Amino acid sequence: MKIVSFALNGKKVSCEVQDRELLLHALRERFSIKSVKEGCGIGECGTCTVLIDNEPHYSCLTLASKVDGHDVKTVEYLGDAGLLHPLQKAFIEAGAVQCGYCTPGMLLSAYSLLMKNENPSDSEIREAISGNLCRCTGYIQIVEAIRDAAGLCKCKP
Amino acid sequence: MLPDFASVSPETKADALAYLASLDDVRVIAGGTDLLVNMKRGELCSNVVDIMNIEELRLLSGDGTDIAIGPAITHAAISAAAMLNDLAGSLSAACGWIGSPQIRNMGTIGGNLANASPAADLIPPLLIHDTVLKIESQEGKREERLDDFIVAPYETSLKPHELLTWVCIKGLPGYREGYRRIARRAAWAISRLSVAWAVREDGDRFVDVKLAIGSCTPMPFRPRNVEKFLGGRKKDDHTIGEAAALVVEEIRRITGDRPSFAYKLPVVKGLVQKALRG
Ligand SMILES: Cc1cc2nc3c(=O)[nH]c(=O)nc-3n(C[C@H](O)[C@H](O)[C@H](O)COP(=O)(O)OP(=O)(O)OC[C@H]3O[C@@H](n4cnc5c(N)ncnc54)[C@H](O)[C@@H]3O)c2cc1C
Ligand code: FES
Ligand code: FES
Repeated sequence: MKIVSFALNGKKVSCEVQDRELLLHALRERFSIKSVKEGCGIGECGTCTVLIDNEPHYSCLTLASKVDGHDVKTVEYLGDAGLLHPLQKAFIEAGAVQCGYCTPGMLLSAYSLLMKNENPSDSEIREAISGNLCRCTGYIQIVEAIRDAAGLCKCKP
Repeated sequence: MLPDFASVSPETKADALAYLASLDDVRVIAGGTDLLVNMKRGELCSNVVDIMNIEELRLLSGDGTDIAIGPAITHAAISAAAMLNDLAGSLSAACGWIGSPQIRNMGTIGGNLANASPAADLIPPLLIHDTVLKIESQEGKREERLDDFIVAPYETSLKPHELLTWVCIKGLPGYREGYRRIARRAAWAISRLSVAWAVREDGDRFVDVKLAIGSCTPMPFRPRNVEKFLGGRKKDDHTIGEAAALVVEEIRRITGDRPSFAYKLPVVKGLVQKALRG
Protein backbone atom coordinates (compact mmCIF):
# COMPACT_ATOMS: atom_id res chain seq x y z
CA MET A 1 0.00 0.00 0.00
CA LYS A 2 1.01 3.61 -0.56
CA ILE A 3 -0.22 7.01 0.52
CA VAL A 4 -0.98 9.32 -2.40
CA SER A 5 -1.68 13.01 -1.94
CA PHE A 6 -3.06 15.07 -4.78
CA ALA A 7 -5.51 17.82 -5.68
CA LEU A 8 -8.89 16.36 -6.60
CA ASN A 9 -11.23 18.87 -8.19
CA GLY A 10 -9.40 21.69 -6.48
CA LYS A 11 -9.28 20.13 -2.99
CA LYS A 12 -6.24 18.54 -1.39
CA VAL A 13 -6.83 14.87 -0.68
CA SER A 14 -4.80 11.92 0.57
CA CYS A 15 -5.56 8.25 0.62
CA GLU A 16 -4.02 4.84 0.85
CA VAL A 17 -3.97 2.83 -2.39
CA GLN A 18 -2.69 -0.57 -3.41
CA ASP A 19 0.46 -0.64 -5.56
CA ARG A 20 -1.46 -2.17 -8.45
CA GLU A 21 -4.55 0.02 -8.01
CA LEU A 22 -5.73 1.97 -11.04
CA LEU A 23 -6.72 5.63 -10.73
CA LEU A 24 -10.13 4.66 -12.18
CA HIS A 25 -10.86 2.35 -9.25
CA ALA A 26 -9.42 4.71 -6.63
CA LEU A 27 -11.69 7.52 -7.84
CA ARG A 28 -14.79 5.33 -8.01
CA GLU A 29 -14.31 3.31 -4.84
CA ARG A 30 -12.34 5.55 -2.48
CA PHE A 31 -13.83 8.89 -3.50
CA SER A 32 -17.23 7.71 -4.81
CA ILE A 33 -16.73 9.59 -8.06
CA LYS A 34 -18.93 7.49 -10.32
CA SER A 35 -18.79 9.82 -13.33
CA VAL A 36 -15.48 8.16 -14.22
CA LYS A 37 -16.51 4.91 -15.86
CA GLU A 38 -14.89 1.69 -16.94
CA GLY A 39 -15.88 0.96 -20.51
CA CYS A 40 -13.21 -1.06 -22.29
CA GLY A 41 -10.45 -0.90 -19.66
CA ILE A 42 -7.74 -0.80 -22.36
CA GLY A 43 -7.56 2.73 -23.67
CA GLU A 44 -10.03 2.42 -26.50
CA CYS A 45 -13.23 4.21 -25.45
CA GLY A 46 -12.42 7.29 -23.35
CA THR A 47 -15.21 6.99 -20.81
CA CYS A 48 -12.62 6.81 -17.99
CA THR A 49 -11.00 10.11 -19.07
CA VAL A 50 -9.79 12.43 -16.31
CA LEU A 51 -7.60 15.52 -16.49
CA ILE A 52 -4.18 15.21 -14.91
CA ASP A 53 -2.50 18.61 -14.74
CA ASN A 54 -5.27 19.74 -17.09
CA GLU A 55 -4.46 17.22 -19.84
CA PRO A 56 -6.73 14.26 -20.65
CA HIS A 57 -5.55 10.82 -19.56
CA TYR A 58 -7.18 7.39 -19.43
CA SER A 59 -7.62 6.50 -15.76
CA CYS A 60 -8.08 2.82 -16.72
CA LEU A 61 -4.38 2.69 -17.70
CA THR A 62 -3.01 4.99 -14.99
CA LEU A 63 -1.72 3.61 -11.71
CA ALA A 64 -3.18 5.59 -8.80
CA SER A 65 0.34 6.04 -7.41
CA LYS A 66 1.20 8.15 -10.46
CA VAL A 67 -0.98 11.12 -9.43
CA ASP A 68 0.88 11.74 -6.16
CA GLY A 69 1.65 15.47 -6.13
CA HIS A 70 -0.46 16.19 -9.22
CA ASP A 71 -3.77 17.84 -10.02
CA VAL A 72 -6.71 15.60 -10.99
CA LYS A 73 -10.01 16.86 -12.34
CA THR A 74 -13.22 14.97 -13.07
CA VAL A 75 -16.46 16.35 -14.46
CA GLU A 76 -17.55 17.30 -10.93
CA TYR A 77 -15.02 20.11 -11.16
CA LEU A 78 -17.09 21.77 -13.89
CA GLY A 79 -20.44 21.94 -12.14
CA ASP A 80 -23.43 19.95 -11.00
CA ALA A 81 -27.17 19.85 -11.63
CA GLY A 82 -27.63 22.93 -9.45
CA LEU A 83 -24.98 25.03 -11.15
CA LEU A 84 -23.99 23.90 -14.61
CA HIS A 85 -20.88 25.09 -16.39
CA PRO A 86 -21.53 26.88 -19.72
CA LEU A 87 -19.93 23.92 -21.49
CA GLN A 88 -22.37 21.51 -19.83
CA LYS A 89 -25.29 23.81 -20.73
CA ALA A 90 -24.11 23.91 -24.33
CA PHE A 91 -24.05 20.08 -24.43
CA ILE A 92 -27.66 19.95 -23.23
CA GLU A 93 -28.84 22.67 -25.59
CA ALA A 94 -27.16 21.15 -28.65
CA GLY A 95 -28.57 17.68 -27.94
CA ALA A 96 -25.06 16.36 -27.40
CA VAL A 97 -26.16 14.04 -24.59
CA GLN A 98 -28.20 10.95 -25.37
CA CYS A 99 -27.45 7.97 -23.14
CA GLY A 100 -24.80 10.08 -21.40
CA TYR A 101 -22.25 7.32 -20.94
CA CYS A 102 -19.55 9.15 -22.87
CA THR A 103 -20.48 12.62 -21.62
CA PRO A 104 -18.23 13.11 -18.55
CA GLY A 105 -15.12 12.09 -20.52
CA MET A 106 -16.20 14.08 -23.55
CA LEU A 107 -16.73 17.21 -21.42
CA LEU A 108 -13.26 16.87 -19.90
CA SER A 109 -11.53 16.50 -23.27
CA ALA A 110 -13.48 19.53 -24.51
CA TYR A 111 -12.68 21.53 -21.37
CA SER A 112 -8.97 20.77 -21.72
CA LEU A 113 -9.07 22.00 -25.32
CA LEU A 114 -10.88 25.22 -24.40
CA MET A 115 -8.35 25.96 -21.66
CA LYS A 116 -5.63 26.05 -24.30
CA ASN A 117 -7.59 27.37 -27.24
CA GLU A 118 -10.51 29.76 -26.79
CA ASN A 119 -11.51 29.66 -30.42
CA PRO A 120 -10.87 26.19 -31.86
CA SER A 121 -11.72 25.20 -35.42
CA ASP A 122 -14.01 22.23 -36.06
CA SER A 123 -11.03 20.08 -36.96
CA GLU A 124 -9.26 21.04 -33.74
CA ILE A 125 -12.42 20.12 -31.83
CA ARG A 126 -12.66 16.76 -33.61
CA GLU A 127 -9.02 16.06 -32.91
CA ALA A 128 -9.44 16.93 -29.21
CA ILE A 129 -12.32 14.47 -28.76
CA SER A 130 -10.87 11.75 -30.98
CA GLY A 131 -9.97 9.70 -27.90
CA ASN A 132 -13.58 9.60 -26.69
CA LEU A 133 -16.10 7.30 -28.36
CA CYS A 134 -19.78 8.15 -28.55
CA ARG A 135 -22.10 5.41 -29.77
CA CYS A 136 -25.23 7.59 -29.79
CA THR A 137 -24.88 11.07 -31.19
CA GLY A 138 -22.72 10.76 -34.27
CA TYR A 139 -20.50 13.57 -32.87
CA ILE A 140 -22.09 16.40 -34.87
CA GLN A 141 -24.03 17.75 -31.89
CA ILE A 142 -20.98 17.36 -29.66
CA VAL A 143 -18.78 19.39 -31.99
CA GLU A 144 -21.54 21.98 -32.23
CA ALA A 145 -21.85 22.20 -28.44
CA ILE A 146 -18.11 22.73 -28.00
CA ARG A 147 -18.08 25.36 -30.72
CA ASP A 148 -21.05 27.15 -29.06
CA ALA A 149 -19.39 27.05 -25.66
CA ALA A 150 -16.03 28.27 -26.93
CA GLY A 151 -16.96 31.94 -26.93
CA LEU A 152 -18.89 31.79 -23.68
CA CYS A 153 -16.81 29.98 -21.21
CA LYS A 154 -13.84 31.03 -19.26
CA CYS A 155 -11.96 27.78 -19.15
CA LYS A 156 -8.67 29.18 -17.89
CA PRO A 157 -6.99 26.86 -15.41
CA MET B 1 -8.15 -5.42 -12.29
CA LEU B 2 -4.43 -5.87 -12.58
CA PRO B 3 -2.49 -8.88 -11.31
CA ASP B 4 -0.76 -8.24 -8.01
CA PHE B 5 2.64 -6.53 -7.99
CA ALA B 6 4.63 -4.10 -5.86
CA SER B 7 5.69 -0.77 -7.30
CA VAL B 8 8.32 1.85 -6.57
CA SER B 9 8.61 5.36 -8.00
CA PRO B 10 12.23 6.49 -7.69
CA GLU B 11 13.20 10.10 -8.37
CA THR B 12 16.73 9.53 -9.63
CA LYS B 13 18.21 7.33 -12.29
CA ALA B 14 20.68 5.90 -9.78
CA ASP B 15 17.82 4.74 -7.55
CA ALA B 16 15.97 3.23 -10.51
CA LEU B 17 19.08 1.27 -11.52
CA ALA B 18 19.52 0.06 -7.94
CA TYR B 19 15.91 -1.18 -7.84
CA LEU B 20 16.28 -2.87 -11.22
CA ALA B 21 19.42 -4.62 -9.97
CA SER B 22 17.95 -5.81 -6.68
CA LEU B 23 14.29 -6.63 -7.34
CA ASP B 24 13.19 -9.99 -8.72
CA ASP B 25 10.98 -10.40 -11.75
CA VAL B 26 10.96 -6.64 -12.33
CA ARG B 27 9.61 -4.45 -15.15
CA VAL B 28 10.02 -0.76 -15.97
CA ILE B 29 6.81 1.20 -16.39
CA ALA B 30 6.71 4.56 -18.19
CA GLY B 31 3.30 5.62 -19.54
CA GLY B 32 1.93 2.12 -19.01
CA THR B 33 -0.08 2.13 -22.25
CA ASP B 34 1.54 -1.07 -23.49
CA LEU B 35 2.56 -2.69 -20.21
CA LEU B 36 -0.77 -2.35 -18.38
CA VAL B 37 -2.75 -3.53 -21.41
CA ASN B 38 -0.50 -6.61 -21.53
CA MET B 39 -0.95 -7.18 -17.80
CA LYS B 40 -4.72 -6.94 -18.13
CA ARG B 41 -4.37 -9.66 -20.75
CA GLY B 42 -2.53 -11.88 -18.32
CA GLU B 43 1.14 -10.92 -18.35
CA LEU B 44 2.58 -11.17 -14.84
CA CYS B 45 5.44 -9.60 -12.93
CA SER B 46 6.22 -9.19 -9.23
CA ASN B 47 7.75 -5.71 -9.24
CA VAL B 48 7.34 -2.54 -11.23
CA VAL B 49 9.71 0.46 -11.32
CA ASP B 50 7.88 3.61 -12.40
CA ILE B 51 10.35 5.96 -14.12
CA MET B 52 8.04 8.92 -14.76
CA ASN B 53 9.21 10.88 -11.68
CA ILE B 54 12.81 10.89 -12.87
CA GLU B 55 13.57 14.37 -14.17
CA GLU B 56 16.76 13.37 -15.99
CA LEU B 57 14.86 10.88 -18.16
CA ARG B 58 12.59 13.65 -19.42
CA LEU B 59 15.21 16.05 -20.77
CA LEU B 60 15.65 17.12 -24.37
CA SER B 61 18.97 18.56 -25.41
CA GLY B 62 20.69 19.28 -28.67
CA ASP B 63 23.45 21.20 -30.38
CA GLY B 64 22.68 21.47 -34.06
CA THR B 65 22.58 17.98 -35.42
CA ASP B 66 23.17 15.87 -32.30
CA ILE B 67 19.95 15.64 -30.35
CA ALA B 68 19.38 13.61 -27.17
CA ILE B 69 15.80 12.77 -26.24
CA GLY B 70 14.94 11.49 -22.75
CA PRO B 71 13.09 8.16 -23.00
CA ALA B 72 10.30 9.25 -20.63
CA ILE B 73 9.25 12.18 -22.82
CA THR B 74 5.65 11.76 -23.97
CA HIS B 75 4.48 11.78 -27.58
CA ALA B 76 2.57 15.01 -26.87
CA ALA B 77 5.74 16.72 -25.62
CA ILE B 78 7.76 15.54 -28.62
CA SER B 79 5.23 16.78 -31.14
CA ALA B 80 5.23 20.16 -29.38
CA ALA B 81 9.03 20.57 -29.29
CA ALA B 82 10.15 23.23 -31.80
CA MET B 83 13.68 21.82 -32.12
CA LEU B 84 12.32 18.44 -33.22
CA ASN B 85 9.86 20.05 -35.61
CA ASP B 86 12.79 21.75 -37.33
CA LEU B 87 15.35 18.96 -37.30
CA ALA B 88 13.29 15.76 -37.14
CA GLY B 89 9.95 16.59 -38.75
CA SER B 90 9.07 12.97 -39.48
CA LEU B 91 9.37 12.12 -35.76
CA SER B 92 7.17 15.07 -34.74
CA ALA B 93 4.62 14.05 -37.34
CA ALA B 94 4.58 10.42 -36.17
CA CYS B 95 4.13 11.49 -32.53
CA GLY B 96 1.16 13.57 -33.59
CA TRP B 97 -0.49 10.51 -35.20
CA ILE B 98 -0.17 8.07 -32.34
CA GLY B 99 -3.32 6.75 -30.69
CA SER B 100 -5.45 9.57 -29.31
CA PRO B 101 -4.76 12.73 -27.28
CA GLN B 102 -4.93 10.68 -24.07
CA ILE B 103 -2.46 8.08 -25.37
CA ARG B 104 -0.12 10.87 -26.52
CA ASN B 105 -0.23 12.45 -23.04
CA MET B 106 0.65 9.10 -21.45
CA GLY B 107 2.82 7.08 -23.86
CA THR B 108 6.55 7.72 -24.18
CA ILE B 109 9.20 7.38 -26.86
CA GLY B 110 11.14 4.92 -24.69
CA GLY B 111 8.07 2.73 -24.23
CA ASN B 112 7.38 2.73 -27.96
CA LEU B 113 10.95 1.56 -28.65
CA ALA B 114 11.20 -0.98 -25.84
CA ASN B 115 7.85 -2.51 -26.78
CA ALA B 116 9.23 -2.94 -30.33
CA SER B 117 5.96 -3.61 -32.12
CA PRO B 118 6.36 -4.10 -35.89
CA ALA B 119 3.74 -1.34 -36.17
CA ALA B 120 5.34 1.09 -33.67
CA ASP B 121 4.95 4.51 -35.23
CA LEU B 122 8.18 6.03 -33.91
CA ILE B 123 10.52 3.39 -35.24
CA PRO B 124 10.52 4.35 -38.96
CA PRO B 125 11.30 8.04 -38.30
CA LEU B 126 13.94 7.10 -35.72
CA LEU B 127 15.57 4.77 -38.25
CA ILE B 128 16.07 7.57 -40.76
CA HIS B 129 17.63 9.72 -38.03
CA ASP B 130 20.34 7.10 -37.39
CA THR B 131 19.23 6.61 -33.82
CA VAL B 132 21.62 5.30 -31.21
CA LEU B 133 20.28 4.19 -27.83
CA LYS B 134 22.10 4.65 -24.54
CA ILE B 135 21.43 1.88 -22.09
CA GLU B 136 22.52 1.68 -18.46
CA SER B 137 22.54 -0.79 -15.63
CA GLN B 138 24.39 -0.85 -12.33
CA GLU B 139 27.15 -2.76 -14.07
CA GLY B 140 27.79 -0.11 -16.66
CA LYS B 141 26.74 1.66 -19.84
CA ARG B 142 26.41 0.55 -23.42
CA GLU B 143 25.29 2.05 -26.71
CA GLU B 144 23.45 0.35 -29.50
CA ARG B 145 22.19 1.34 -32.93
CA LEU B 146 18.42 1.12 -33.25
CA ASP B 147 18.83 -1.43 -36.09
CA ASP B 148 20.55 -3.80 -33.67
CA PHE B 149 18.43 -2.96 -30.60
CA ILE B 150 15.31 -4.56 -32.04
CA VAL B 151 16.12 -8.22 -32.45
CA ALA B 152 12.67 -9.61 -33.34
CA PRO B 153 9.06 -8.42 -33.29
CA TYR B 154 8.33 -7.32 -29.67
CA GLU B 155 11.86 -8.25 -28.64
CA THR B 156 14.83 -5.98 -27.91
CA SER B 157 18.31 -6.50 -26.54
CA LEU B 158 17.30 -4.91 -23.18
CA LYS B 159 17.95 -7.08 -20.13
CA PRO B 160 15.53 -6.89 -17.18
CA HIS B 161 17.99 -4.90 -15.06
CA GLU B 162 18.76 -2.41 -17.84
CA LEU B 163 17.26 1.01 -18.42
CA LEU B 164 17.06 2.91 -21.68
CA THR B 165 18.45 6.32 -20.71
CA TRP B 166 18.80 8.34 -23.95
CA VAL B 167 17.49 8.21 -27.48
CA CYS B 168 20.18 9.97 -29.53
CA ILE B 169 19.30 11.10 -33.03
CA LYS B 170 20.95 13.02 -35.85
CA GLY B 171 18.97 16.12 -36.80
CA LEU B 172 18.58 16.64 -40.53
CA PRO B 173 18.62 20.37 -41.31
CA GLY B 174 17.72 21.19 -44.90
CA TYR B 175 15.77 17.99 -45.47
CA ARG B 176 12.10 17.79 -46.41
CA GLU B 177 10.63 15.26 -43.97
CA GLY B 178 7.36 13.49 -43.42
CA TYR B 179 5.54 10.48 -42.08
CA ARG B 180 2.42 8.86 -43.46
CA ARG B 181 0.54 5.93 -42.07
CA ILE B 182 -2.42 4.04 -43.32
CA ALA B 183 -4.65 2.71 -40.58
CA ARG B 184 -8.22 1.54 -40.40
CA ARG B 185 -9.30 4.76 -38.71
CA ALA B 186 -7.41 7.89 -37.90
CA ALA B 187 -7.48 7.85 -34.11
CA TRP B 188 -6.40 4.77 -32.14
CA ALA B 189 -5.74 2.52 -35.03
CA ILE B 190 -2.46 0.71 -34.96
CA SER B 191 -0.63 1.37 -38.21
CA ARG B 192 -0.99 -1.25 -40.88
CA LEU B 193 1.49 0.44 -43.15
CA SER B 194 3.77 3.41 -42.79
CA VAL B 195 6.52 5.35 -44.52
CA ALA B 196 8.94 7.92 -43.07
CA TRP B 197 11.10 10.01 -45.33
CA ALA B 198 13.77 12.71 -45.36
CA VAL B 199 14.71 14.10 -48.74
CA ARG B 200 17.37 16.65 -49.67
CA GLU B 201 17.05 18.06 -53.17
CA ASP B 202 18.96 20.48 -55.33
CA GLY B 203 16.78 21.83 -58.11
CA ASP B 204 15.67 18.79 -60.11
CA ARG B 205 18.08 16.34 -58.48
CA PHE B 206 17.89 14.16 -55.40
CA VAL B 207 20.95 14.83 -53.30
CA ASP B 208 20.25 12.47 -50.43
CA VAL B 209 17.19 10.38 -49.60
CA LYS B 210 16.40 8.42 -46.45
CA LEU B 211 13.38 6.13 -46.32
CA ALA B 212 11.97 3.73 -43.74
CA ILE B 213 9.01 1.42 -44.09
CA GLY B 214 6.96 0.20 -41.11
CA SER B 215 4.43 -2.62 -40.61
CA CYS B 216 5.31 -4.51 -43.81
CA THR B 217 8.19 -6.62 -42.55
CA PRO B 218 8.77 -8.22 -39.12
CA MET B 219 10.72 -5.09 -38.16
CA PRO B 220 10.56 -1.63 -39.73
CA PHE B 221 13.50 -1.22 -42.12
CA ARG B 222 15.39 1.16 -44.39
CA PRO B 223 15.70 0.09 -48.02
CA ARG B 224 19.32 1.21 -48.26
CA ASN B 225 19.75 0.01 -51.84
CA VAL B 226 16.93 2.34 -52.90
CA GLU B 227 18.43 5.26 -50.97
CA LYS B 228 21.72 4.66 -52.75
CA PHE B 229 19.96 4.36 -56.12
CA LEU B 230 18.29 7.75 -55.61
CA GLY B 231 21.38 9.73 -54.49
CA GLY B 232 22.33 12.20 -57.25
CA ARG B 233 19.63 11.06 -59.66
CA LYS B 234 17.32 13.31 -61.64
CA LYS B 235 13.99 13.85 -59.90
CA ASP B 236 11.48 12.71 -62.50
CA ASP B 237 8.64 10.20 -62.89
CA HIS B 238 10.96 7.57 -64.26
CA THR B 239 13.36 7.66 -61.27
CA ILE B 240 10.53 7.84 -58.77
CA GLY B 241 8.68 4.93 -60.37
CA GLU B 242 11.81 2.81 -60.43
CA ALA B 243 12.60 3.62 -56.79
CA ALA B 244 9.08 2.65 -55.66
CA ALA B 245 9.35 -0.65 -57.55
CA LEU B 246 12.69 -1.35 -55.88
CA VAL B 247 11.16 -0.77 -52.44
CA VAL B 248 8.46 -3.32 -53.16
CA GLU B 249 11.06 -5.81 -54.39
CA GLU B 250 13.02 -5.33 -51.18
CA ILE B 251 9.95 -6.01 -49.02
CA ARG B 252 9.33 -9.23 -50.98
CA ARG B 253 12.96 -10.24 -50.56
CA ILE B 254 12.77 -9.79 -46.76
CA THR B 255 9.40 -11.36 -46.11
CA GLY B 256 8.53 -13.62 -49.01
CA ASP B 257 4.98 -13.42 -50.31
CA ARG B 258 2.07 -12.77 -47.96
CA PRO B 259 -1.67 -12.72 -48.56
CA SER B 260 -1.88 -9.13 -47.30
CA PHE B 261 0.61 -7.98 -49.93
CA ALA B 262 -2.02 -7.84 -52.66
CA TYR B 263 -3.31 -4.81 -50.77
CA LYS B 264 -0.19 -3.57 -49.04
CA LEU B 265 2.37 -3.41 -51.82
CA PRO B 266 0.46 -1.12 -54.20
CA VAL B 267 -0.21 1.17 -51.21
CA VAL B 268 3.46 1.26 -50.24
CA LYS B 269 4.33 2.05 -53.83
CA GLY B 270 1.90 4.95 -53.82
CA LEU B 271 3.17 6.30 -50.50
CA VAL B 272 6.80 6.13 -51.58
CA GLN B 273 6.04 7.93 -54.84
CA LYS B 274 4.18 10.65 -53.01
CA ALA B 275 6.99 11.04 -50.50
CA LEU B 276 9.60 11.40 -53.24
CA ARG B 277 7.56 13.83 -55.32
CA GLY B 278 6.93 16.09 -52.31
C1 LIG C 1 -5.50 2.64 -27.28
C2 LIG C 1 -4.06 2.57 -27.68
C3 LIG C 1 -3.65 3.11 -28.91
C4 LIG C 1 -2.32 3.04 -29.30
N1 LIG C 1 -1.98 3.59 -30.50
C5 LIG C 1 -0.69 3.51 -30.92
C6 LIG C 1 -0.30 4.06 -32.19
O1 LIG C 1 -1.11 4.62 -32.92
N2 LIG C 1 0.99 3.92 -32.58
C7 LIG C 1 1.92 3.30 -31.78
O2 LIG C 1 3.08 3.22 -32.19
N3 LIG C 1 1.59 2.80 -30.58
C8 LIG C 1 0.31 2.88 -30.13
N4 LIG C 1 -0.04 2.34 -28.91
C9 LIG C 1 0.98 1.65 -28.12
C10 LIG C 1 1.66 2.50 -27.01
O3 LIG C 1 0.84 3.58 -26.61
C11 LIG C 1 2.99 3.09 -27.44
O4 LIG C 1 3.85 2.06 -27.87
C12 LIG C 1 3.68 3.88 -26.34
O5 LIG C 1 4.71 4.65 -26.89
C13 LIG C 1 4.24 3.03 -25.23
O6 LIG C 1 4.87 3.89 -24.28
P1 LIG C 1 4.57 3.78 -22.71
O7 LIG C 1 5.40 4.81 -22.06
O8 LIG C 1 3.14 3.80 -22.43
O9 LIG C 1 5.17 2.32 -22.44
P2 LIG C 1 4.96 1.32 -21.21
O10 LIG C 1 3.71 0.59 -21.38
O11 LIG C 1 5.20 2.04 -19.93
O12 LIG C 1 6.20 0.36 -21.49
C14 LIG C 1 6.25 -0.45 -22.65
C15 LIG C 1 7.46 -1.39 -22.56
O13 LIG C 1 8.66 -0.65 -22.58
C16 LIG C 1 9.43 -0.88 -21.40
N5 LIG C 1 10.06 0.41 -21.10
C17 LIG C 1 9.47 1.65 -21.13
N6 LIG C 1 10.38 2.61 -20.90
C18 LIG C 1 11.57 1.99 -20.72
C19 LIG C 1 12.92 2.46 -20.46
N7 LIG C 1 13.20 3.78 -20.36
N8 LIG C 1 13.90 1.53 -20.32
C20 LIG C 1 13.62 0.20 -20.44
N9 LIG C 1 12.39 -0.29 -20.72
C21 LIG C 1 11.38 0.60 -20.85
C22 LIG C 1 8.46 -1.40 -20.39
O14 LIG C 1 9.09 -2.24 -19.45
C23 LIG C 1 7.49 -2.18 -21.27
O15 LIG C 1 8.01 -3.44 -21.56
C24 LIG C 1 -1.36 2.41 -28.47
C25 LIG C 1 -1.77 1.89 -27.23
C26 LIG C 1 -3.09 1.97 -26.84
C27 LIG C 1 -3.51 1.40 -25.50
S1 FES D 1 -12.22 2.44 -19.99
FE1 FES D 1 -12.14 2.63 -22.13
S2 FES D 1 -10.49 4.00 -22.35
FE2 FES D 1 -10.48 3.62 -20.24
S1 FES E 1 -24.39 9.85 -25.62
FE1 FES E 1 -24.43 7.70 -25.57
S2 FES E 1 -22.36 7.21 -25.92
FE2 FES E 1 -22.37 9.30 -26.24
